[in-house]
Amino acid sequence: MKAVPKDKLPALLEELSKEGDLYVPSQAGEMSRFVPWKRDVKLDLEHNTTMSPKELLFPQTEVIYNYKFGEENTVEPPSPGSDKIILFGVRPCDVQAIRCLDEVFLTRTYVDNYYQEKRDRLIIISLGCTAAEDTCFCKDMGVNPVEAEGADIVIFDLDGEYGFEAKTDKGKEIAKKLSSFLEETNKEKPAAPSFSLEVNSEGIVEKLQKMFEHPIWEEVSQKCICCGTCTFLCPSCHCFDINSKNIDATKGFKYRTWDACVFDDYALMAGGHDVRPSKVERIRNRFLHKLQFFQERYGLFLCTGCGRCLRECPVGTNIAAFINRLEEVTVDG
Amino acid sequence: MNEITGLMRKKAKELLEKGVVERVIGWEKGMFFYSTTPVVIDKPEETEKLVWDDFAINNLAIYLLDKQNKEKKVALFVKGCDSRGVVRMIQDKQVKRENLYLIGVPCPGLKDPKTAVRGYYKDAGQVPKAKKCQECLHPNPVLYDEMLGSPVEEPQQIDRFAEVRELEKKSTDKKYAYWKEQADKCLRCFACRNICPACSCPECIFDCSKPRWLDKEVSTVQNQFFHMIRMWHVADRCIECGECERVCPAGLPLMQLNRKLLKDINELFGPYEAGMDLEQRPPLTQYDTGDPEEFM
Repeated sequence: MKAVPKDKLPALLEELSKEGDLYVPSQAGEMSRFVPWKRDVKLDLEHNTTMSPKELLFPQTEVIYNYKFGEENTVEPPSPGSDKIILFGVRPCDVQAIRCLDEVFLTRTYVDNYYQEKRDRLIIISLGCTAAEDTCFCKDMGVNPVEAEGADIVIFDLDGEYGFEAKTDKGKEIAKKLSSFLEETNKEKPAAPSFSLEVNSEGIVEKLQKMFEHPIWEEVSQKCICCGTCTFLCPSCHCFDINSKNIDATKGFKYRTWDACVFDDYALMAGGHDVRPSKVERIRNRFLHKLQFFQERYGLFLCTGCGRCLRECPVGTNIAAFINRLEEVTVDG
Repeated sequence: MNEITGLMRKKAKELLEKGVVERVIGWEKGMFFYSTTPVVIDKPEETEKLVWDDFAINNLAIYLLDKQNKEKKVALFVKGCDSRGVVRMIQDKQVKRENLYLIGVPCPGLKDPKTAVRGYYKDAGQVPKAKKCQECLHPNPVLYDEMLGSPVEEPQQIDRFAEVRELEKKSTDKKYAYWKEQADKCLRCFACRNICPACSCPECIFDCSKPRWLDKEVSTVQNQFFHMIRMWHVADRCIECGECERVCPAGLPLMQLNRKLLKDINELFGPYEAGMDLEQRPPLTQYDTGDPEEFM
């Protein structure tokens, strides 16, 4: 395996930044997120970020088109970017979440141009995990915590150096350009970290299919305050809302923003009917989407076990604890 | 099990069994040593879930606004901050006093689970006291039907406006730059609003779609508008429980905004703290001929 000595990492990142827009995990105030790389940016490779990297592929607010009206009406989509987007240090749980977003935005019936345009330019350099935090449970949600499937390049912390393995053609092309930094190492890939949190996700899809009317939903939703913390920090939540804004009497723009299925007005329709009138239905929908519906449609969990919602939920709602509670639930048939 | 936990369970069981209340709202233990979360209990046999420990930090008053609880007879465990939230809601006629059975718990100052995550600390003893609790002036409940345990000593030496005074020294440009930077961090998840016991409007201006006062666009201007209006709406109702700031995933210093207005209110209308006394009306909801009128 190739490797880069840790002291050469800044130089490698500098070289990488010549290939496109490079984003790295960094502590920005209280919240860590992926930020544009600069020489003085302080890397945080110890912990996963508070904000997930989804905001770079699917920004919280994104213009769909600009419009003008008057004698002639025009609609103009924003011009696409051209530079590569290089994400460095993405954790396997977040790579898995990008695989989920790919399924939603690029497969089946409709291809989302806005997502695709950025996805085509994306290069994912994943950092395999050598330690699991107390809120991590990716391995139980179908994620390999060491080698992220779907990454273009995977790097491994090997004490003093980073192992470097290109997985895709895009990754190999980048590796070629970085070859002057890479040396051969005889170290082995690290073993999977040990997890203190164990989640039993086996058989839950079949079980949840029979639990739509189960009293458990009332219980798990009682403390929810219906804010958007979990969905906005979640690497795989992807609901959005479309609105328009008139800048003046002749022009404006149409845009989309993240939406959250737990918000009071999420399922409120024109005419006033609300298909999920209380938080019981809303939490049920959130958990079933993560753990049942997405599996049925795409064969993946929409929860990748990153633990962000466990850490940040204002009232301590815990999807991992919910999954484990399912073991106690018996359903008919 | 500590003494208060035992008393809580006993009291809750008794109230449910005797039919004094239909529901008890307290705290239960979560998955980690640092997670103690709100819990709603309807059955006497489930009162064993109740706990009181270092992390029972959530202000439970907000649950009285929940549609499910509004018309019910509810027993609520209240620390100093929770009880002040309840006082405000009763004053605003959001809840009826006769529907509530308030069980006071003197609070020694608690710890924030969000500080304890990620394995920096191995047990509760190592986790520092939460910021909101370091700033608390009234750890003892101000309204209760009965109290568990004996009152704790109230701190005297805290200057609640110290941070605001420091900010006020900055130039206008510097203040603007500071607050712009804060606004830019906001995710508009509404955790600050939804956790706030002073935010009690059945329909919030920020959710209103006809007209849409707050655009869904997450931008500097919209975020500034959101925070300006939010702070004005809770101006003389903010009980300084610090929950908004504690739960903000982006780390916005929201108590600086709330305390700026409270400082102004104190300077204009005399010493005031919200939710301390059922009989004291908030300064902005009453008119007195002696009110300052320099703007006239």
